[in-house]
Amino acid sequence: MKIVLLLALTAFYLPLRAQKVTVTGKLLSGKDQTPLAGVSIRASGGPGTVSLSDGSFALPASIGTTLHLSMEGYLPKDVKVGKASLGVILLDASQKSLDSVVVVGYGTQKKVNLTGAIATVNMDEKQGQPITNVSNALHGVPGLFVNLSNSQPGVDRSTIRIRGIGTLNNSDPLVLVDGIEYSMDELNPADIASISVLKDASAAIYGSRAANGVILVTTKKGSGAAKVNYSYYYGKQSTTFMPDAIWDPIAYMKLKNQAERNEGKTAVDYSDAQIAEYQNGMKTDPFTYPANNWFDIALNNGMIQKHDVSVAGSNDKSQYRFSLGYLDRNGVMIGPNNQEKKYSIGLNTSFTISKRLKVGLNLDGYYRQYTQPFYNSFWQYLTRTLPILTDTLKDGRYGNSWLRTPGRNNWENPRMIAYTGYSKKLVQRFLASTFLDYKLPFDIVYHAQFGADKYDGLLDEFTPQVQSFDPKTLVATNWNSPATAPRADETDYNNLSIHFYNTLNWTHGFGASHHVAVMLGSSYDNFGTSQFAGAMTGYLDATLTALDAGTIRYATSGNSTKDVLESYFGRLNYDYDGKYLLEATFRYDGSSRFALGHRWGFFPAVSAGWRIDREKFLGQSDLFQLLKLRASVGQLGNQAVPLYSYENAIVLGQNYDFGGVLQSGAAATSYSDPNISWETTTSYNVGIDAELLKSLTVTVDAYRKRTTGILRAVNIPSQIGGLAGPQENIGTMDNTGIELSARYQNHIGQVGYGVFGNLSFNQNKVVDIAGQILYNYNSSISTITKAGYPIDAFYLLHATGIFQSNDEVQHSATQSAATQAGYLKYEDVNKDGIINGDDRKIIRSSTVIPRYSYGFGLDLDYKGFTLTGVFQGVAGIKVYPTANMAFPFNNGANATREWLTDAWTPTQTNARLPIVTESTGNADNFQASDFWLRSGAYLRLKNVQLSYALPKRWLSLAKISKVSVFVNAENWVTFCKYRDFDPESLLNSNTLYTYPMLKTISGGVNVTF
Amino acid sequence: MKNTSIIIGVVCLGLLGGGCDKSLLNTSPKDQYVESNYWESPAAAQAGLSACYGVMTGSGLWGGDATPLFEEGASPNAYDYDNTMGFNLIAEGLQSASSSGIIPGRWKACYTGIGRCNTFLVKVDEVPMDGATKTRMKGEAYFLRALYYFTLENYYGAVPLILAPPDRATQTNVKRTNQADVVAKVLSDLDSAAAVLPLKYTGGDLGRATKGAALTLKAKLLLWEASPLFSGGNDAAKWQTAADAAQSVMNLGGTGYGLYSDYRGLFLPQNENNKEVIFDVQFIYPDMGNSFDLIDKQYNTNAPLLDIAQVYTMKNGLPITDPTSGYDPAHPYVNRDPRLYQTIVFPGDTFMTVPVTPSRFAITGFGLKKYSIYDKGAPPSGKSDLKAGQSETNYILLRYADVLLMYAEAKNEASGPDASVFSALNSVRSRAGLPDVSTALTQDSLRAVIRHERRVEFAGEGMYYNDIRRWKTAGQVLGQAIYKYDGSKIETRKFDAARDYWWPIPQVERDLNPALEQNSGY
Repeated sequence: MKIVLLLALTAFYLPLRAQKVTVTGKLLSGKDQTPLAGVSIRASGGPGTVSLSDGSFALPASIGTTLHLSMEGYLPKDVKVGKASLGVILLDASQKSLDSVVVVGYGTQKKVNLTGAIATVNMDEKQGQPITNVSNALHGVPGLFVNLSNSQPGVDRSTIRIRGIGTLNNSDPLVLVDGIEYSMDELNPADIASISVLKDASAAIYGSRAANGVILVTTKKGSGAAKVNYSYYYGKQSTTFMPDAIWDPIAYMKLKNQAERNEGKTAVDYSDAQIAEYQNGMKTDPFTYPANNWFDIALNNGMIQKHDVSVAGSNDKSQYRFSLGYLDRNGVMIGPNNQEKKYSIGLNTSFTISKRLKVGLNLDGYYRQYTQPFYNSFWQYLTRTLPILTDTLKDGRYGNSWLRTPGRNNWENPRMIAYTGYSKKLVQRFLASTFLDYKLPFDIVYHAQFGADKYDGLLDEFTPQVQSFDPKTLVATNWNSPATAPRADETDYNNLSIHFYNTLNWTHGFGASHHVAVMLGSSYDNFGTSQFAGAMTGYLDATLTALDAGTIRYATSGNSTKDVLESYFGRLNYDYDGKYLLEATFRYDGSSRFALGHRWGFFPAVSAGWRIDREKFLGQSDLFQLLKLRASVGQLGNQAVPLYSYENAIVLGQNYDFGGVLQSGAAATSYSDPNISWETTTSYNVGIDAELLKSLTVTVDAYRKRTTGILRAVNIPSQIGGLAGPQENIGTMDNTGIELSARYQNHIGQVGYGVFGNLSFNQNKVVDIAGQILYNYNSSISTITKAGYPIDAFYLLHATGIFQSNDEVQHSATQSAATQAGYLKYEDVNKDGIINGDDRKIIRSSTVIPRYSYGFGLDLDYKGFTLTGVFQGVAGIKVYPTANMAFPFNNGANATREWLTDAWTPTQTNARLPIVTESTGNADNFQASDFWLRSGAYLRLKNVQLSYALPKRWLSLAKISKVSVFVNAENWVTFCKYRDFDPESLLNSNTLYTYPMLKTISGGVNVTF
Repeated sequence: MKNTSIIIGVVCLGLLGGGCDKSLLNTSPKDQYVESNYWESPAAAQAGLSACYGVMTGSGLWGGDATPLFEEGASPNAYDYDNTMGFNLIAEGLQSASSSGIIPGRWKACYTGIGRCNTFLVKVDEVPMDGATKTRMKGEAYFLRALYYFTLENYYGAVPLILAPPDRATQTNVKRTNQADVVAKVLSDLDSAAAVLPLKYTGGDLGRATKGAALTLKAKLLLWEASPLFSGGNDAAKWQTAADAAQSVMNLGGTGYGLYSDYRGLFLPQNENNKEVIFDVQFIYPDMGNSFDLIDKQYNTNAPLLDIAQVYTMKNGLPITDPTSGYDPAHPYVNRDPRLYQTIVFPGDTFMTVPVTPSRFAITGFGLKKYSIYDKGAPPSGKSDLKAGQSETNYILLRYADVLLMYAEAKNEASGPDASVFSALNSVRSRAGLPDVSTALTQDSLRAVIRHERRVEFAGEGMYYNDIRRWKTAGQVLGQAIYKYDGSKIETRKFDAARDYWWPIPQVERDLNPALEQNSGY
C-alpha cells in the first residue's frame, strides 16, 4: 500500500522540472460572448485554477503543455500553451448528449459512461407548458407510466409507475431532490433543471426503497454571468370529456319510468299527470319546471396563470440561483371554492471556502393553498344531477325538486354544494439542505449532506347550515343537520423528516487506461408525522368561523407516527480506456418497519458496458458516434408496508354504550404476520445506446424484474374472527418489457426539424403466490390475482348477448327471477344450470398498467419560430367504469343519452345495449360481467406549442438578451373509444366523478436580461 | 426523545460509524396496543368485552343507519324502495351469493363478534382481577357468542362452528358444521351464561347481558327449533320445551320484567332500560349513534305497505274485513288498534305538526314512526332534523312482550289453548288497549290470532321476516303484489320456496374458503 502511494507521489512531482511562465487568458461563451466564470483550468500534470467573474484567469504553466478547460454545461476544451497570453478562448455549450452529465445515486456520471438504464428529462424542453406539478410533465419517458386521474387544482398530481407494477403495495417510486428524499411536486417546476429516472439495477444503491425505481430531481443552478429571467403564461381551462347526459326533463322522466316498468314495477316514479303538468309548466315557469343542463350550470372556464422570476450566476468562488414563483388557478367548478395559489421560493448556493472546502445551502419552499367546497363530493353529486332539479328559486334560494325520486332523499344541488362553506388547505413545505465537500489527502473527497423536510399543513373547514327548497311548495329541506352545523373543523399537520448522508469518494487513474472510482457512504432517515384536529359547533351563523366563535366542543383527535431507516452503501466504478465499463454497488438497509430479526436487508448490483464504437474493428467510420451495449443485474427492495404491520395490534375505538355511558372498547381488527420482511426485486436489463449518422439517437432496453416475497394484505375468510387479512410476503411476480426511443434531428435549408418517438411494452405476470388466490371486491369490481395471470385481472361473468325472448330465458341457465327478454345473457361456464360466481372467467388483460405506452412528436424551427407537437397514448388496458352515469339510473342518478336510442326493446332487438333498467334496482344486468368492460386505450395530442424568439438585433438596444413569446395547447385532441369520461382518469378510478381532466390553451412570454 | 434519537443518528453515522445501538430502529405505535402486552389489566379486559358488544352496533347486525328497520322491507310489512343493504332484493327473491349488503355483511359481523368473544374467553383468564367480576364477564361473552351464532344459523343454516381465538392455520378451511351442533353449542353457551349472570344491573352497567336475557334468547332459539322451517315437521315435545323456556323467564323472580304501560313510549330514548327491555343494543350520540330518525322521517326506506295498515284490527278487536267491525273505507284510520297510530304515519294523519298528504311519504303513502322521536307534535328543540348517525334510541332485541307471545305460541302448539296461553296473549293486547280474545278459539284459530298479534305488536321492528320464514308461510305471503296506500300496485314480488328460505353463503367467503358448500338453489 505504502509503495503504491510513494509511486503516486513521485509521479505527481515529475513534471516540475519543466520551465514555467504565467499563462493568462479570457474565457467567453461561444454562443453570446458573455464571460464565463468558474471554468476549471488545469495544466496537464500541473496545478489548476478557475476563471474569475470577468472570465479571466492566470496560472503558472510551461510552454508546450496543454490546458484542460472544463465547466458543467460546456464542452471541455484542450488548449496548447504556445505563448504566455492566450487571449480570448471561446467555450461552446454542450448540446450533444454525448457530453452531458447525468445525476445518479450519490453522484454524477458522464452519460457515455452509464451502464444502467437511466432516462433523463431536460426541463428546458418543457419551457412554456402550463405545468402545475412536475409529475404531470413526465409523459414520454420510456418505461414511465404517468397517469393523472384527478385534475383538481391543488391536488392534481400524477401517479407514476416505472416499468409496471412490481408490488401489490405502494408502487410509487422513490424521489430525491438534490440528493434528499422529497416530493417532486412540492417544487416549483420552473426551478427544476433535470430529472433522472433510474429504472434498473442502477437504483439498487437506494436499497429498500428502490424497487419501484428512483427519480432524481436536480434543481437549477447559476452558471456564468448574472442573468435575470422572467416568464409568464396565462391560460384558459375546460374539461375534456363529460358524460353525455339526458338533459331533456320529459325524455328523462319517460325513460326512467320505462326502466321501472321493464323491471316489472307497476308504480313508476313520475305519473302521467305529473309529466303532463311538467310539459305545460315548462312553457311558463322554468323555476318549478326546469330543463337544466347541470354541466352547463355548474362548470365554467378555468383560469391558470404563472409568474416566475429568477436571478442566477456563478464565479470562481460561488454559485447562486434565487427564484420566486407564483401560480394562480381558478378551477372549472362554479363558486369560490375551487382555487389554488402557490408561492414558491428557491435558493441554490455553493461557496468555495478554501482549496479543500466547499459548502452549499439549498432551500426549496412552497407556501400553497387550495380551496374546495366543504362537501368535497361535488363531482359525485354533479353526476347525480337530473334535468328536473331546480337550480335556484326566483329569489335565489337553492332549489330541489317537487318530484319525489327514489334515491334522492336529500337533493344534492351542485350549486348549493359549490357555494357551501369551505375547505381550505394551507401548506408550508420546505426542504432545507446543506452540504460540505472536503478534499482529504490522496484524492479522497468527503461529502456530507443534511436535509430537513418540514411540512406544515392546516386544513381549515367551515360548513354553515344549508337548506334547499321545494320549488312548488317552498318547503325547506335541511341539507345538513342543525345538530352538526354550522361547524368549524381544523386539522393541523406537522411532519418533519430528517435526512443525513455522507460519503467518501476516491477516483484515480492507473496509467492512461485504467480508471477507478470508489464511493462508500452511510445514511440515516427519520420520518415523523403528527396531526391534531378539533371541531366546534354552536355557531350563531356563518359569519364568524374561528374555533373560538363556537360554543360546543364537537370533536378532537390526533396521532403521530415515526419510522426510521439506517443504511450503508458503496459503489465501485472501473473503466478501461472508456471502452469497458464496470460498476458494482451495494446497500445494507435497516428499517423500523419490520420486527427485530427481519430488519436488515442487503441489496447488491453489478452492471457493465461496452463502447463498441471505440473498438478498432469499427474503424473511424462516420456511421456511429456512439454504440454502447449495456447490461445490469441487481436486487432492490420495497419496504412500503403500513407501519407496524408486523404487530398484532389491539385497536381502540371499538366502543359500546352502557346505560348512557360510552365505554372504551378494544379489539384486534386485523391479522398480523410477525415474520414479514422486504420485498426483493431482482432486476435484469440489457440495453443499447447508439448515435449514428450524426443525426439519429436510438436507445433500446429490455428488462425483466422479478419480485419475490411480495407483501400483500391477504384476504382471509370472515370466519377467522372477521379480521382483515395480514400483510404477508406471499409470492413472486414478473414484469418484463421492452423500451424503445429514438430521435432524428436534421435540417432542410433553414428549417431545422426533429422527429422523435418512444414505445414501452410491459407485461405483468404473477408467477407464484403459494397456491393462493387473491380476490378483490373493492368498489364492486371483481378482480383476481392468481398465478399465471396479470395482477388484479378482471374476474367476470361472460355476457354472450341479449336474450331475445322469454322462451330463450326459459331454456337457458337460471340467472335470476327477474330475467326476461332484453336482459344480458351470461355463459354458464360450469354447465350447472345456474349463473353464479362459479361462472366467472379471468380476463387476460391488464387492469393496472397499460401494456403499451407510447409517444411521438415533431419539432420544427425556422428563424426564431419553433413548433413542437407531442402525442401521447396508451393501449392494452381495460377499464370498468361503474355507478353514476356509467350505468343508467344508479340510485336515483341520471342516464346517458345512448339509453334513449341504443337499448333493446321488443321492436329493436338487434340493440347494442340491454333493455333499459335502473342499475340499482336490477342486479342481473349489472352483475360484474365483461359486457361492461371498456377499452382504456387512448391517443392524445398532449401538447402543441408555437414560440417565437425575437431577433437579437431588436433586443440588444434594450439590453435584453432574450425574449420569446409562445402559445400552447394541452390535451386538445383525444382519440378513444369510451367517450363518457376522460380515459386517462379512468385508468386509476372506476367512477366518472373524479375532478375531470382539463384541456388548456395558454400563451406567455419569457424574458432574459 | 425524538430529537435525541435524531442526534444519535447523526452522530453515530456521521463518520461512517457502524455498531450503533440498534434501538435506533425501535419504534412503536402511539394509538394502539399490541396483543402481546394488552391483556394485563381489568380495564383492558373490560375494553375487550365492550368490543364484543360493539359489533352489535354495526350495519351487519342491529345498527349502522337502521339495519333492523330496513329488514322490515324484506317482509310484506314494508318496502325498501332503495334496496338499502340489499333487503329489497331479498323481498323480491333476487338475492344471490354475490349480492352486496346484508348477506355478506351479516356473516362477517357475526364472525367478528364470535372472534372477539372467543379471544376474550381465553385471554381474560390471563388478567389478574376480581374473580366474581371475571366470571360475570365471561357469562356476558358466552351470551354474546350465543347471540351471534344464533343469528348466523337463523339465516344461513349450517355454519362453521369456531370456538377458539382467531387462528388462520386451523380456521381457514373449516367446513360448515351441522346446524344441530351449532344449535347445541348455542344452548350450552346460554346455559353457561344464565348460570353466572346477574338478574339486573344499575347505572353504567345497564345494557349488559343478564340472566333473563340468556334465558329469553334460549326460549327464542328453542321456539325457532320447534318451528316448521327448523324442525321440518311439527313436534309437540319441541314446542313444549320452547314453552317451558319462555315460562322460566316469566317465572324468574327479582327481575321486575313486565309490559311497559306506554307502547309508543317503549321506543323512545327517554324511557330506555324500562321494565319491558330484556336486552337491547345501546346507542349514544355523538359517539355511537344510528339513523333511525332520518330513515323514518325522511328517507322512508322502510315505507309501510298497505297490507300492514290493513292488518291492524279495529279497536274492538274485529278485523276490518268483518262487516260488523265498524270499519269505514272512507275513513280507514278511525277507531283502529291503537298501535297503528303509535307505529305508522298515514295520509290524513298529522306528523311534526303538519297534516300528512299522500306525497309526504311518497313511496307508499305511509311512514314509520316507531323507533323515531318524531310524532304528531313539534320535535324536541335542537333535534328537529336529526341526520345520519345522530339518533340514540336503543334497539330492543329481546322484550317481555316477545316472551309472552313466544310462550303463547309454543304452548298453543304443544298442547292447545289453555288459560296460561290466553293470559299471556291478552296481557299484550290489553297493554295495547284491545279487548281479550275469545276463549272459544281452537288451536288452529288461536294460532292465527297469535301470529297476527306478533305481526302487529312487532310491526316495524324487523321481526316479521323471520317469523314468516320459521312458520314457512313466506311462500304464500311474500311472493305477492305490494300496494300503496290507495291500492295502486307497486310490483309483484317473487319467492322460491325451494331456495329463498335460506340466505346464500356469500361468494366472497366461498372464494376464500372453498370448503364452504352453498345452500341449495344458489
